[in-house]
Amino acid sequence: METINILFELFPYAIMGSIAAGVICSFLGVFVVSQRVVFLGAALTQTAIAGVAFAFLHLINLENTITSIFGIEVNEESFLHHFEHTFFSLLFTAAAVLIFSQSYRQKFITKDSLLGIIFVIAIALRIIFIQKSPIAEVAEIESILKGDILFIGAQEFYTLLTILIIIFLIFSLFSKQLRFVTFDSDTAAAHGINDRLWLVIFYLTVGIGISLTTRFVGDVFTFAFLILPASVAILIAKRIISVFIYSIIIGSIVPPLAIYIAFELDISSGPTAVVLVFLLFITVFSYKKLRA
Amino acid sequence: MVKDKNNTLIRFKDVSIGYGNKTIHKDINIEIEQNDFIGLVGPNGSGKTTFLKTLLGNIKPLSGIIEKKVVNCGYVPQRDTVQPLLPYSVHDVVMMGRYSLMGLFKLPSAKDEKIVDESLQKVGISELRNLNYNSLSGGQRQRTLIARALAVEPSVLILDEPTNGMDTPSHYSLLNLISELHAKSNLTVLLVSHLLSDVANLVKKLILFETGRFQSGTIEEMLSEKNLGQTYSANIEVKKINGEYHITSSHNE
Repeated sequence: METINILFELFPYAIMGSIAAGVICSFLGVFVVSQRVVFLGAALTQTAIAGVAFAFLHLINLENTITSIFGIEVNEESFLHHFEHTFFSLLFTAAAVLIFSQSYRQKFITKDSLLGIIFVIAIALRIIFIQKSPIAEVAEIESILKGDILFIGAQEFYTLLTILIIIFLIFSLFSKQLRFVTFDSDTAAAHGINDRLWLVIFYLTVGIGISLTTRFVGDVFTFAFLILPASVAILIAKRIISVFIYSIIIGSIVPPLAIYIAFELDISSGPTAVVLVFLLFITVFSYKKLRA
Repeated sequence: MVKDKNNTLIRFKDVSIGYGNKTIHKDINIEIEQNDFIGLVGPNGSGKTTFLKTLLGNIKPLSGIIEKKVVNCGYVPQRDTVQPLLPYSVHDVVMMGRYSLMGLFKLPSAKDEKIVDESLQKVGISELRNLNYNSLSGGQRQRTLIARALAVEPSVLILDEPTNGMDTPSHYSLLNLISELHAKSNLTVLLVSHLLSDVANLVKKLILFETGRFQSGTIEEMLSEKNLGQTYSANIEVKKINGEYHITSSHNE
């Protein structure tokens, strides 16, 4: 109990932020896993990191650009001052999503190949950007790029919360279209639904979620929580709504639990969360396998 | 749009179909009329699915014009292309047929629910309503996909290889269902198959696809021994016994 009190006192936003990040990933993960585009998660996490690394080059001064276009004064306390890394992370991810959407209904390249190309190019660019960054040591930038649950502050938490609400809104308002095109895009198109447009909206939403969670909690946490909670939920749920409920419950409970265990054992919270959710997966998977 | 008052629902005028620079069939001139029952037959890779996708507007014709009356097309894809990981119920799947007819933000209404129930009833799977789609047999899945197409309240029902990979009883049961749907509802039906024997005794018109060759006509015109012999490069024998076509072949040396 004492540890819990200390944690709430020291890291209130980290705890709430980890829940928000866990819910974002586990919710989006249901679509990613069911669409069989798991590697999209890996490619987009690396693309998001490449975007943040690009920001360290300071080739484009976003603050000055915003000031000159909109006449807004950006001070050091404002959200926009800290927005640069997130902006480039989002920009890179959106570009990757648009490139990926070109794999749709054409025979020149498979989805897997295109995701593989995006994945390796993102890693290569990240390395080059970091090497050419004028401001800090490579190791220091790498640690910033990777994110850390415990570094989530008020601003990061509110950003994650906003994105979570936006994602829920998009998927609630357009659930019919997204459900149909992710289930059977050919028939959706035959029935007059613009499947290509809806798939791009779907992938862009996934990209925004991945980009921000990667920025704040790291690529390993993001990728793991995209796959594992949804995979557990699919194993145990009997109805479609239950898949989302189970996945979100796992995504919201495991991260704060991981922070507690990591604090007690003096280990990193992100990897602890990943191991915990993996243990849950392997337990459920083994149980299902034995029963079958 | 077709503005004439005849029964033509869809008209292809000098249409070429294919992907990119590759033309699969050219100079297609056909009319699909109300209450037609048309079989689209040809071996795998002969362009049947490309033709269907062009007809449905999923891909654009390379040239020519496709005129359509305002018709709802109910599409039944090949069953193997729909293999969800998520536990959608039969009701969930059939309700998808209503999605394109609802408003952008609207939820299913009582009318939508009624139409879904009627569609399930028409294909004889009302009792499967709440079951998981993944738990169904091949025949039951196919009926679910047909129910979804019927939920569109279509003027034209298009089925892509609906009996593929089915056991014999399910195969004939499904063909009977399609025939019944056509007869009872005056539904225009386009049935794709790679087996001529599948559709010969079912449909009124045939479209035959061969690599680079496309021909269409009434069943009597298309099933002449001479025509089939030329199309399939084989000695084809066509007999009509008790009103049913029996087609046998032996390939030319």
